[in-house]
Amino acid sequence: MKILLIEDEEALREDIITYFTEEGSLCETADDYATALTKINIYNYDCIVLDLTLPDGDGMEILRKLKSLHKNDGVLIISARHSLDDKLSGLNLGADDYLVKPFHLSELKARVSAIVRRKSFDGNNLIVFHEINIDTLAMKTMVGQNIVNLTKKEYDLLVYFIANQNKVITKSALAEHLWGDEIDLSDHFDFIYTHIKNLRKKLVETGCNDYIKSMYGVGYKFSS
Amino acid sequence: MKLAQKYNRVNLFTTLIILVMSGAIYYFAIHYILTSKLDNDLKIEEEEIIASVQKYNKLPLPSDFKDQKVTYKELGTTEEVERYFVNTSYYNQDEKDSEPGRSLITTVKAGDRSYAVTITKSSLEAEDLVRLIFLITLGVIILLLISLTVVNRFILSSLWRPFYDILKQLKAFNLADKNEVSVQQTQIDEFQELNQSVIAMSARVRQDYKELKSFTDNASHEMMTPLAVINSKLDTLIQTEALSDRQGELIEDVYLAVNKLSRLNQSLLLLAKIENNLIKDEEDVSLDILVAQKLRQFNELFIANEIQVEKKLEARQLYMSKYLADIMLNNLINNAIRHNVQNGEILVELSAGVLSISNTGAGKALDGNRPFERFYKDPASEGAGLGLAITSQICNLYHYKLSYSYRAGRHIFSIKF
Repeated sequence: MKILLIEDEEALREDIITYFTEEGSLCETADDYATALTKINIYNYDCIVLDLTLPDGDGMEILRKLKSLHKNDGVLIISARHSLDDKLSGLNLGADDYLVKPFHLSELKARVSAIVRRKSFDGNNLIVFHEINIDTLAMKTMVGQNIVNLTKKEYDLLVYFIANQNKVITKSALAEHLWGDEIDLSDHFDFIYTHIKNLRKKLVETGCNDYIKSMYGVGYKFSS
Repeated sequence: MKLAQKYNRVNLFTTLIILVMSGAIYYFAIHYILTSKLDNDLKIEEEEIIASVQKYNKLPLPSDFKDQKVTYKELGTTEEVERYFVNTSYYNQDEKDSEPGRSLITTVKAGDRSYAVTITKSSLEAEDLVRLIFLITLGVIILLLISLTVVNRFILSSLWRPFYDILKQLKAFNLADKNEVSVQQTQIDEFQELNQSVIAMSARVRQDYKELKSFTDNASHEMMTPLAVINSKLDTLIQTEALSDRQGELIEDVYLAVNKLSRLNQSLLLLAKIENNLIKDEEDVSLDILVAQKLRQFNELFIANEIQVEKKLEARQLYMSKYLADIMLNNLINNAIRHNVQNGEILVELSAGVLSISNTGAGKALDGNRPFERFYKDPASEGAGLGLAITSQICNLYHYKLSYSYRAGRHIFSIKF
């Protein structure tokens, strides 16, 4: 994946790059509007992660520019602006998704992966992780030749895990991913455990290795 | 009552009174003038008779011609008649009819004898004249009233057109859409002033709105950015291999605190936005469908908490922001789950005018209206105590009535539309 991160907050930028580059994604950055414009003019990216509030301009303008250049880059807006019309105008201008700050890096990774998957039309709707094959169009999960019947939540969990393979994911990140940020889940982490238990059981029963590792106190890690 | 109608009424009423009064004054004035003219004629006749008596020393013959009659009556020696004018009737020989008349009664001496002379003139012509004048005046009054009514109606409605135009624009005025108020050109100073004021006001309101919006955006940005940094640093930190269980627990606590803080921030900003009416995306919302959808979305929470949910929903459309409707329902249902008991129940009822959500709960009734206060919460609750305050604020915005009651161990929140 080739990603352009447009974000002026240095601390955040570093963390995102570290998180993304470890397993082979190419990540470029721009810390202001002018640099961002130059980069999108010259290069193509699988996904552009765009902060709306930049020191020398508005991120929305970058969206307009992309549109006028007829670029097909995926765009994920990350912004602290939580108002509905910002979300709507961003999505109307051709952004693929909108993520409100603060977010979990694992959520950002999952969203970017989803955008890249959607953008690459040429049959790239397959997620493969060792013996696990997921057809994202049909939402079908196979372990080897066997179909695994997952519920919607279990499927979402698995896709999320694979997008963030080898990373520790917190329980709150999982909860927010599965139920959205509108349900206040701070005291309801228990039943994430139920979903993970079920997913793990279904995978193992179909002959899959157990890739889900529990990290005490923090969360889970999906790795081979 | 419309301004034009009111004005018309007052105008016509005063016009009528003035016209009737001036008609009366006119009538009496003319009557007085004509009577004094008649009296003059009678005086001239009297002088002629006196002159004739002095010249010939005898009375002229009584005469009766051309609307004038002179009669004499001999007076006794002691008798005296004072000279006076009087309204009488005059017998017209030709017409064989009695007409109104005016008489002058006076005395004249011929030789030793005194005579009372009565000179009578018909005042029919004068009366006719007065009547004619009266009729003409009446005609003029009626004509004037009719034309006043018509002119008022026609002119007033065209004069007030710019006013009604600006009124229509004000009614349609919406902060969020970018259309400027467009005004009709008018020659009337007051309306020009009104138009200018309305344009200036709408510009000022828009400016305030923009400033407030950019304030909440900036506040959001400035507060959320450090939180985003903390969150991402934590995400990076937990990727390092050698975390002990104790460290993991500590980090989880920090996560929860950050999460709470960002929620609190979002809630406060949301409250500010609702209070300042910054959320402007009203549409027709099918509340019954939305409630059913919410209940499905929360289903797992119900199962996890072993809560039985019962719903009775009637179709109901509301014109409100879907975003706020969503938040309103989220908060109420979250609340009903959070403060429920094991194996509890939630009953959601939506009839045409009321949405009520009741839940079984441990403990006793909440304190009157305090649940809707900001930061009021049960000591055991983990929330920030803003959910119901936000719900209450949303209800205020749309003039719904949110109330709380406690009956038979159930907390009941209901919204009247």
